[in-house]
Amino acid sequence: MAKRGKLEIIRDILNIIKENHNSIKPTPLLRQSNISSTRFKEYFNELLKRNFIREVNHKKEKFILLTEKGFKYLEKYKTIINFIDEFEL
Amino acid sequence: MPMNHLTGRAIEEGFRQSLKKFAIVGFGTEILYSFIIITCSLMIYFGTKELYELTSHKGIKYFRQAFLFFALAYFFRSFIKFILTYFNVGQILDISPRMISPIFGQITLGIFMYFSSMAIFYLLYSVMWKKWNDNSQKIYLFHLLAFIIAVFSIFFRNSLVYFGINILLLCFVIFTFYISRKQSKQKKAKHNLHIIYTLLFSFWILNIIDILIPNFFQTFQLFMYIISSALFLAMLYKVLKKVGST
Repeated sequence: MAKRGKLEIIRDILNIIKENHNSIKPTPLLRQSNISSTRFKEYFNELLKRNFIREVNHKKEKFILLTEKGFKYLEKYKTIINFIDEFEL
Repeated sequence: MPMNHLTGRAIEEGFRQSLKKFAIVGFGTEILYSFIIITCSLMIYFGTKELYELTSHKGIKYFRQAFLFFALAYFFRSFIKFILTYFNVGQILDISPRMISPIFGQITLGIFMYFSSMAIFYLLYSVMWKKWNDNSQKIYLFHLLAFIIAVFSIFFRNSLVYFGINILLLCFVIFTFYISRKQSKQKKAKHNLHIIYTLLFSFWILNIIDILIPNFFQTFQLFMYIISSALFLAMLYKVLKKVGST
């Protein structure tokens, strides 16, 4: 299996959240992301910082949700990849 | 017979004159040309804004910046053309100190050369940044090189120096571009893109020469403008087709 690029890993993380009815706990998200915990932390912090995801506390438990920007990323992912591929960026 | 011969020559001369009249570009055409290129460049810049905001991808960033610099360079190009038309002089260095401060014209020329060189360097960098391991110091090196080119253009009042600099720039860009393509694993890379980029580089150099060396193209100026506009429109079409698709 080819090594995933950064954009693809972000897409996969966001997709996992979306497929879990837009609400997932951090541990199953880490497990399903299929990356090391160190890298997951890096990606997680970046996604929070770039406002793709947000954390919500519910009954003392932490849940991760997609923001509007996160949904937009998933919607535009194919366009982004096609564009990068077309112009060899 | 001599009468017929004379008539033939007169017709030939008339045809040549009308071709010249058609091909020699007025200020209105210059404005239209600049408008097309600036609009295309800005549409590419703003059309890819969302993709960049979503990804922060460096390739997209450099690609966008190339077209922003193209727009700025063409703006200064049309400004130079305006000065030349207004003062009715052949080249910006001919402007007499009595008309306007010579430093004003030379600085405009320098800014134009800086932006135009950077536009080409950014476009090259957008394709090469991965192969160069995104060594961001390289982009500062390009800024320095563009600055040196700008300073050269201001201080060397020699058409041959202008011509030499631009030919060297073109050779450097095309050489780097094709060496990278040969080394690329993606052998079936997009041929169209490489052709468009090469033409874009070549015609951009012609545009620079057109500004720096007066009457270099003479009757071919209009054809150069048409082909340059067509290249930018083709680029815009390619971008909009990709950005618009899902």
